[in-house]
Amino acid sequence: MTIRMRLTLWYAGILILSLLVIGIGTYREIDEQMRHDHRRAPTEHAIGETSEMVFQVGLPAVLLGLLGGWWLTRRALGPVKKLTDAATKIHERNLREPLPRTNNGDELDQLTKVFNDTLARLDDSFMRIHEFTLHASHELKTPLTILRGETETALRDESLPPAERERAASQLDELRRLARIVDGLTLLAKADTGQITLAMEPVKLEELVRDNFADAQILAELQGIQVELAACEEITVCGDRHRLRQLLLNLADNAVKYNQSQGKVTMSLRRVDNTAEFSIANTGAGIPPEMLPRVFDRFFRGDPAHSQTVDGCGLGLSIAQWIVSAHNGTIKIESATMKPTTVTIRLPLEEFPRGKA
Amino acid sequence: MRVLVVEDEKKTASFVRKALQAEGFAVDVCHNGDDALAAARATPFDGIVLDIMLPGRDGLSVLRQLRERKNITPVLLLSARGEVNERVEGLNAGADDYLPKPFELVELVARVRALTRRGGETKSTVLRVADLTLDTLTRQAQRGETSIELTAREYRLLEFLMRSAGRLCGRMMILEKVWDYDFDPGTNLVDVYIRRLREKIDADFEPKLLHTVRGAGYVLKETP
Repeated sequence: MTIRMRLTLWYAGILILSLLVIGIGTYREIDEQMRHDHRRAPTEHAIGETSEMVFQVGLPAVLLGLLGGWWLTRRALGPVKKLTDAATKIHERNLREPLPRTNNGDELDQLTKVFNDTLARLDDSFMRIHEFTLHASHELKTPLTILRGETETALRDESLPPAERERAASQLDELRRLARIVDGLTLLAKADTGQITLAMEPVKLEELVRDNFADAQILAELQGIQVELAACEEITVCGDRHRLRQLLLNLADNAVKYNQSQGKVTMSLRRVDNTAEFSIANTGAGIPPEMLPRVFDRFFRGDPAHSQTVDGCGLGLSIAQWIVSAHNGTIKIESATMKPTTVTIRLPLEEFPRGKA
Repeated sequence: MRVLVVEDEKKTASFVRKALQAEGFAVDVCHNGDDALAAARATPFDGIVLDIMLPGRDGLSVLRQLRERKNITPVLLLSARGEVNERVEGLNAGADDYLPKPFELVELVARVRALTRRGGETKSTVLRVADLTLDTLTRQAQRGETSIELTAREYRLLEFLMRSAGRLCGRMMILEKVWDYDFDPGTNLVDVYIRRLREKIDADFEPKLLHTVRGAGYVLKETP
């Protein structure tokens, strides 16, 4: 029950109670007066007269009071409603936009101010985390460059014994993986701090999808996975060509990696409700429903045992999500255990997205 | 061939120098921008490997200075920030190539090789390595008398490898030139395509032309 409803009911109760008090008071007064005037059968008459007065005067007054009460609470709580509407729009990315204030210094204005201050502090904390990630990934690059370079130098040494060579080669593989993680982290940290500008241009999506389809077929070949392009309508969107290709390859690579051998990958590009809809489905082990909301989280691994066998940096879907949202699009994933997994992205057709992520 | 390496991080400078020397380059090393400008003024280099983040005068500023002085030595920029805008900024400032850190050594060496040979590329429309020919006009590939069917992507890959025949091509370099990817997708796309290409141009023929170089690259050449 809303506060407004509750206040109105209380108010109605009080009005009815006061009406009762007025009724009793009026009855006593009339009764007294009649006794004084030595009339007969004063009681029944007094009741009739009182109820007549109460109904004719009191009831309209109560109704008027109720309407007034409704209006009053509505007025008093209006700013709260506005505050609520504004506050529901708050998320991690727009903490810097303060809630609108009336500046009249009343209690609600004070509350808004406190709220805005809290948001600003929260935004500061978020920024500090993002900056920390960015600095951390930058700091990691120099030692990583050295490690990689020196391992490669060691591998070039012809006199290296086979066992040592094996070890160095394995180290180099891990260093490559580490480099990809750091690259992914840097990209996301930059996106978080708004440091990436997308190069927006009209992009023929069908061409990117066909290219991606060809690449996916190649990637899938080894595991005997069949790739199918169910539909590929001609659609042009405004976007960053490189990022969109990265997005598509990312999704295709995932669909192949998290698949069963002799499995299937189906992709399609269609025009749906004024958006470009690209969907890609695979026949993998599926994702349990309780894990679905978290698959876009950074470094989220659905099944720790499975992640050992699949080579990936754990940031692919987070990056995909960022690319889609930077294009003002939506991404969703549908799956269930042992059911096909479908990732669907929708990019706006007409609207020209903003350049900043 | 003489190359200048400008890198303030001593260990990085050291292994880059070793790797380039191993490839037969004469290598000079500078650890800051001002020294680099002085060195470039004193010596005509065939190529410069320039780190962007340097103490004092940064790499981009060195590059601009060089170009202002009409010094057209090919420059490969290195950067730890590795961001698209920076690549564009670097190329606009007059760089010839750009490599984000952490890079693979073979990648760097391959790029320096490409850089220092720039301009020496064949202008002929028919590329040839041993008895393998590729007509860039008709897009026809032939090994001896046998003609080879190629998909569009395989054609682009083969054309790139043939244009850089004899030179080591790193995976990132191939991704960049053939796929136009400026990021490491973390897939084995290149390896799979190379394998397919090898089946077409090498499987039934001798000598083998497409070689894998341990570590991170491929080279198309007659002798292994």
